Formats: sequence, C-alpha cells, structure tokens
Amino acid sequence: MADAAIWQREAVRRHVVKPQDAELDEVMLLVDGLRCGACVLRLETALKQLPGLRRVRVNAASNRASILWARDSLSLFEILRGVEQAGFQARPLDARALDDQRRSEARSALKRLLVAGFGAAQAMMFALVLYLGMVDPLDEPTRNLFRWLGFLVATPVVFYSASPFFKAALRSLQRRQLGMDVPISLAIAIVYGASLAIAMTGGHEVYFDSVSMFVFFLLCGRYLEMRGRHRAVDLSDALTRLLPPVARRYGTGQATEEVAVLELAVGERIQVQAGERIPVDGRLLSGVCSVDEAILSGESEPVAKSVGDDLLAGSLLLQGPQDLEVLRLGCDTRMAGVLEIVERAQSERPRVSRMGEAIVAHFVALVLGLAALTALFWLWLDPSRCFQSVVAVLVVSCPCAFALAVPVAITRVLALLARRGVLVAKPDAIENLANADHIVFDKTGTLTSDQRLASLRLFSSAGAGSAKAVDALNDDERSVLALVAALSKHSQHPVAQAFTPFLSGHETMPAFEGIKQHAGQGIEAWLGERHLKLGRSAFVGLDERALKSEQSTEILLSEQGMVVAGFAVHESLRSEVPEGIKALRGQGLSIELLSGDHADKVQAIAESCAISRWHAQATPESKLEHLYDLRTDSAGVVVVGDGVNDAPILAAADVSIAMGSGSDLAKASSDIVLASSDIRHIAEARTLARQALAVIASNQRWAIVYNVIAIPLAAAGWVTPWLAALGMSVSSLGVVLNAMRIGRAQECSAQDMVLAKQSA
Amino acid sequence: MNILLVMIPLTILVALVGVAAFFWAVDHDQFEDLDSPSHLPLEDADEGIELSER
Repeated sequence: MADAAIWQREAVRRHVVKPQDAELDEVMLLVDGLRCGACVLRLETALKQLPGLRRVRVNAASNRASILWARDSLSLFEILRGVEQAGFQARPLDARALDDQRRSEARSALKRLLVAGFGAAQAMMFALVLYLGMVDPLDEPTRNLFRWLGFLVATPVVFYSASPFFKAALRSLQRRQLGMDVPISLAIAIVYGASLAIAMTGGHEVYFDSVSMFVFFLLCGRYLEMRGRHRAVDLSDALTRLLPPVARRYGTGQATEEVAVLELAVGERIQVQAGERIPVDGRLLSGVCSVDEAILSGESEPVAKSVGDDLLAGSLLLQGPQDLEVLRLGCDTRMAGVLEIVERAQSERPRVSRMGEAIVAHFVALVLGLAALTALFWLWLDPSRCFQSVVAVLVVSCPCAFALAVPVAITRVLALLARRGVLVAKPDAIENLANADHIVFDKTGTLTSDQRLASLRLFSSAGAGSAKAVDALNDDERSVLALVAALSKHSQHPVAQAFTPFLSGHETMPAFEGIKQHAGQGIEAWLGERHLKLGRSAFVGLDERALKSEQSTEILLSEQGMVVAGFAVHESLRSEVPEGIKALRGQGLSIELLSGDHADKVQAIAESCAISRWHAQATPESKLEHLYDLRTDSAGVVVVGDGVNDAPILAAADVSIAMGSGSDLAKASSDIVLASSDIRHIAEARTLARQALAVIASNQRWAIVYNVIAIPLAAAGWVTPWLAALGMSVSSLGVVLNAMRIGRAQECSAQDMVLAKQSA
Repeated sequence: MNILLVMIPLTILVALVGVAAFFWAVDHDQFEDLDSPSHLPLEDADEGIELSER
C-alpha cells in the first residue's frame, strides 16, 4: 500500500482528483477484482461507511468506481485504503494505469484460457480411454495409469487456470457475502478433490475431464466478457491516448522548448506542427488553418479556423505549424468533458442492472441451499448417488446468465452509441428512449443552424430607420453593433452566435454589470448607468410591429426602456434534418415542433421537414405546460434541444437530448448529448436502444427457463457432471454472444457505406 | 501396449512445448493488436517505418 501515499503528493493528486466545488472532490478509480453484482454491493457498502463520503458509483462491467467526497473530512489515501480493506485493489484512473491493467488482464486471461484448453483436450482423451475400457475391459494397472494421467493434466487447469475463481470466492467469503464465484469454486474443488480420492482408493469414476472442461468453458465466457468490456472503454481510452504527452512551449523570444503537457500553464504560448494532435484547448494566434475535430464531434469534414478561434484538445491540426495560446488544460478541456460523460455513463448503473444484481445474491443463496437439500435427500435415499447429484446442482446452475445479461448489453450499446457521437450521460435513458413514442423538437439551434446577421436599423425618436445590410454601416451603427456583440457574448442562445463575427478583438470589452439571462427571451445588463436589454420584441417592451419575414428573427436592443436598434438574424435549416425526421416518423414516433419564434417562421420550418404539429411563440412556461400535457397520455416524451436554452423542458422530459454544439458538454443537463449535432443519429440510437432492451429481456428469460429446467434435473441425479458443465458454460456463452449481436446489422451497413464511398 | 509408455510422455511433451511457445508469444506482444498489422503493407512507405519504430 506504499503506492497509495504517492497519490497524496500534490503534484500527482492534481492529475487524478477533480475538485467538484468548494468542498467536494471527485475521483475515478479502476478496481481490480470486481466480478459480479455481489462484489459491487460489497464495495459500495464498505465505502459508504467512510466519513465524509458523498457518493459511490461502481460498475462491474467497466471495472470503475467514481467517488465523490468532502475534501476536509477524508483523503484519497483513506479511500484507497477503504477499497483495499473491502478486498479489492484500486488505482486512481489515469491513462497509463488503465493501459497496464488492461494489458496484463488480457494477457493472463489468454494464458489461463489456453492452459485450460490444452488441459481439457488431453483430459478428455485420457478419459475416453477409460470410457472405452468399459466396452473392452482394460487391466487394472492401465486404468490406473490413465486416471493418474487425467490428474496430471487437470491439476494445472484447476490450480492455474481456475485460480481467479478461487480468489474471487475467497474474497467474497471473507466479506461474508455470496458472489457467483462461490458455487463455481465449490463445484471445481469438490469434483477435483473427490476424483483425486477415487483415483487413490482405486474406485471407478473419475471426473478430471469434466472439471477441466468446466473451467475451460467458464474461462471462454469470461474471456469474451472481458473483450467486450475492453472494447467498451476503447473509445475513452483511444481519446485519452491520442493526447500528446509533450508540447513545444515558447520561452522568451522565438525559441521553443519541449515540456510535458502537465507543466503547461494557462496563457502560455505553444507551437503545434501540421499532422499533430493539439494537446490543450487553445486560441489560435497565427494564421488560418483547418482542423479535424472528428474525434470530438464525429464530423469528418475539416473545420476552418482563423486567428482568435478556439482549437480543441484532441483535434488534428491539418496545416501548420501554428502558434496557440493555452486556454484550458487537463480536466477542463472540452475533450475531458466528453470523456467524463462517457465514463459517468459507464460507471452509473441503470435500473435494469440494479435489479439484476439483487437477483444474483438471492440466486446464489438459493442454489447453495438446494445443493445442501439434494445432499441430505440422497444421503437418506441412496448415498452412492449423493456426490454426483450435488456436483451437478452446483455446476449446472448458472448465475452468470443473470449477472452478465444486463451489464454486457448496456456496455455494448453505450460503446456503439459513443462511436456514433451519441454520448449517453444517464444509462436509464437507453430504456426510456426505447419506450418513448413522442418526440418534441426545439427549433432554433436544433433544427436550424448558421445564424447570420443580415441587416440592422437604428431607431430614433422619430421612429424606425431603414434597414441596412451589415457590410454598409456608418460609424454610429458600427459602434452599436460592437456593443451588442460584446453583450451577446454573455448569452448562450444560438441567435447570439450571429453577433460573434462582429466582436472587436482589440478594444477593451465593455464592463457589463448585473448580467441576467432570460431563457428563450433575451439578456439584460447594466453598463454604468445605462440599462440595456437585448432580445425578442416582447422582452424589450415593443409590441408586434417589428420587421416580420419568413426567414429572419428580429432582435431588438433597448436602452432605458427605449428601443434603439433592431437586427435581422437569418437562419437556415440543417440539411440532414428532413431525413432525420423522416426516419423517426418511420419508427412510429409522433413528432412536434415547439418554438418561441413567430408563427410564420415556425410554419416555414415545419413545412420544410413535413412536421404537421407545431406551436409557435411558446414561452418556457407554456412549453413546460404542453410537455406535461403530452406526458400524461403517452408512453414517453423525448425532447431535443440545444442544451442550455431549453434546460427547463429538457429537465422535465422522459429523455432529453442536447445538441453537442450548443453549450458546454460537461455541464449539459441532458440524458443524451449528440456530439455531432446530427439528428439522424437519434433514430439510429433508438433502434440500438430497442435492440439492447430486447436482448436483455431475452437473456433474462433464457436464464430463468434454463435454471428452472436444469436444476431440478440435476437434483434428481439425471445430469452427469460433464453434461452439467457443458450446459452451464453454453448458457453463459449464449448470454454474452447474444449481447454482442446488438448493432451487428448497423455495423455491417455502416461498413458497406464506407466501402461504397471509398470505391466511388 | 508398451507403445503407450512412449506415446503418452511424447504427447505431454508436445503439449508443454505448445504451451511454452504460446506463453512466449503472448509475452512478446503477438496478441496485442490483431487488426492493424494486416493494413501495414498498404501504408505508404514512410508511415510504415514510423509505425515499426513506435
């Protein structure tokens, strides 16, 4: 445990602990030895006894635990010690720890699998001789020789290959809890021990072949499960690994020096070469370039950047070298936000999974009870069949099907969605999305994009001036525009983006005070004595006589309650929207459009994507009311919005989907984030979610049917140990393979598309 | 049946050699990446060199 002290050193601690607010810290731990639902419960109960611990989320499928604690009453060291006392090894997560752990786990699993495979094959061959010996009797010394040969090959299988089962079972017994490794280990130990005793006393039946085969098939299932688990973390792993560890920093003058990215500070200047990954979030200082942000957004088109634009960590610089000023580092980068969403979803267990874990603990207790009853029954009736029946009950019962069914399917679907740029922040959303039958879209920033300022007019006491195009402004108008651009920088409404190009970078920013955002309405602020309001006509206090047109939004600026300027902002429909809407309608969803905009504009958008039900000029309150109405008579309502502006109705929806481009990813309050902002992915995500639920249900049904049939047969003594081993192994393999089926059809069609594109 | 006394030690020996060879392969990164080496010949020359150096 000397290692744990290292995490106390401030410099190291900083890279693994994320301060949540003034008093809370959060850390993501990689936990060795998590096997099943019972282990998860055990770790959680142990940690919850620590003082100052606020929240623990453990996920067996990804081997992770996220822990939130009060900084003053608990230290990271004490948490790590707590995890160890619960019988697990934990390491705070950084990229390197993850890599090493996965590599050694994969390697030892492969070796154990192979030894078990070789052993099982040899043991069966020797056993075959014994079985044939019943037809064509062998002499006793030869029989004895083959029994001991069986022992010879089964021994490494039991002591080397099966050692993870024994270790896990021991750990769970030490904690006085029942994991699924307990009956498995018991079965292996009993069969092996009894066969050894029989071989020594010269009895007839030995089961060295059965025990080797049992271990081999179990390891096959575990190996597949491990592969799935590793593939699921592949995405976040690949992201983390892509970040370069070193950067070239400018010292004084033009010379650069190589430093670790960890050593960089905000405000320093670094140089990035063409073809390199950008190590931090930074502002572009030199020239024009394009970057590939596919890893962050799933969009493969390069994005053009010019001086003053933000470049994101993890994106690929296509033209260089370029100089950047460091804006955000480490866990503050946008990429860390994406990672956090993925990791949070993986370490949070959905309802279905929590139910599965509760079942496993009961199931294991039940199986042990039944085995004891079987033993008593046969001892009383026919002691010679006692051993075989007890072993068969222990071997044939398969808690794995329950324990694996949910995590395997959920992990798989999360990974598939993440690959499409659909980040699921709350795993319950998968179930809700599959069941939903209504979908409500916000218009601005969701269905439309490219906010562009088209014209401006000044108001005087005499009335409205004439509208002028933005490229023909006089100084007065230009200064008003600069003021509005500075003010709109504080708003997160998509329309505010229209003013970003008019920010004057050189002068000092006006010092606004008392900035207040009104969701969906506008923004107000004080500049010295001047009370400024910027937003829709109703918000600034003007009735509906403003400019009206089908494709533009009128934004007004008022000072001391008097309207001083009006701006026409154009927007256009995203090109992929009609197709996305069509796909959703094809799935039988009823689609609605809710917007705070003018009726004629909303109608134009609704008609262009063939949405028949729309509501215009909705306030946040009326949107919310409408949503509650919808929810009373539907199975589930999905709301798609831009994240911040629609926060209230997103929070009230059964499933909320936020567009990734809208606002800061990590802060998004939604269940699902569309990093690509492409609504076509919603239909795809729903298909995958439905598949996952179907697979979970069929896995659980299968597990129940299998156990209900197999256990009574085994207790009755009709199942030989080798048949039991086969049945149990095949049933857990089936569960894992069934989950791997999710998304297979989509994967294939996606590959076809890529191939078609390449050959075109 | 005396041939068994030769054949059985031989099978066990072969199995041991197989296991040892496999362990060596696992420890020497032979199973780390089963997908990308098949693309290596298709890469441009300089990229190929870069990959092998890594």
